[in-house]
Amino acid sequence: MNDPLDELASEYVLGTLPGEQRADVEQRLKHDAELRAAVDAWEQRLLPLTALAEPVPPSSELWRRIERNIATARTHWWDLLAVWRGLAGAGLLTTLVLAGLLLTRPPTADPSFVVVLVAPQSQAPGWVIQASHDQQIQLIPLGVMEVPSDKALQFWTKGDGWQGPVSLGLVKPGQTLSVPLDKLPPLTQNQLFELTLEDPRGSPTGKPTGPIQAIGRAVKVL
Amino acid sequence: MFDYEACLQACARGDQRALRQLYEQESSHLLGVALRIARDKSLAEDIVHDAFIKIWRGASSFDPSRGSARGWVFSVTRHLALNVVRNHYREVPLGDEHEQVAATETFEFSARSGQVHTCLEQLDPARRTCILHAYVDGYSHSEIAQKLDTPLGTVKAWIKRSLAALRECMA
Repeated sequence: MNDPLDELASEYVLGTLPGEQRADVEQRLKHDAELRAAVDAWEQRLLPLTALAEPVPPSSELWRRIERNIATARTHWWDLLAVWRGLAGAGLLTTLVLAGLLLTRPPTADPSFVVVLVAPQSQAPGWVIQASHDQQIQLIPLGVMEVPSDKALQFWTKGDGWQGPVSLGLVKPGQTLSVPLDKLPPLTQNQLFELTLEDPRGSPTGKPTGPIQAIGRAVKVL
Repeated sequence: MFDYEACLQACARGDQRALRQLYEQESSHLLGVALRIARDKSLAEDIVHDAFIKIWRGASSFDPSRGSARGWVFSVTRHLALNVVRNHYREVPLGDEHEQVAATETFEFSARSGQVHTCLEQLDPARRTCILHAYVDGYSHSEIAQKLDTPLGTVKAWIKRSLAALRECMA
């Protein structure tokens, strides 16, 4: 098999491609019919091997969770549990970035919460949020993010138990922004923050619709 | 016989009973597949949860000309699990405990029918193990190299050649 496309398809289906290449293949599959055909053929070839995994009965809770989720008209990314689990992986990185930040850049006031926003795929840190008290936060860029000219970055937050994310407004790349949180409940540990790519005037639905550019959770600074 | 294609069509029409039937039919198989890859039961249940949401939402765009409906259901689940372990990290690293599990779960494929099993039997046992660890356990190249105590480059070459041999054998 010297066909690079078929080789890529086979390793994608086998599972041995690294994360970034997997993401590339999944992007290409949306429009590349030749790659899609190669992947489909490999899926069919290897499918019988799934029988080698012993069946495991799920907990009785699992169906109830699925049922609750499909009952809502539309499922949002924040209902998908694996996304939340994955965010935990950003935890170690958050610690490392914070350590660096604290060493190189002593804050003017003692922040009570800090958030590092990282890119969902590469987990590269893009922004830091610091809050010196519960009602105001500062969004600080760690670099200048490229935003397409017909799009804007929109800033969101969601606390545990909230119905969905709440907009904190539009953000210009490379600019430090102070955002009052006086209309929202006080900032809490683990509160989610994210930046998504939206229409220039912000999301038409009032909820995030575009791809996530950066995401992170609030960490209490002792 | 469970009619997977009709089930997905019913899901596409918004019939929740159809999704429930699919759940009864396949949830334990899908959880088994996800658990081998994720190696953590609650993470595996999260993956199966997400897979059912994705199946529910994607049922209307399922295209039967691209493959079997049952195959699609398994592919959705497997790729979600693989994305979780590839994009982030394994919550349960390869350890002694897993070694034991793997040792007792030697791949008893010889008793199984199907062309892929016949073709796998023709591979050298070490190469066959590479393919099965990758597909069933979701091991990366380096995890397989570590597990088999074989250089990474050798493992990569074995996998490439084994896939080529499988393709030829199954043509």
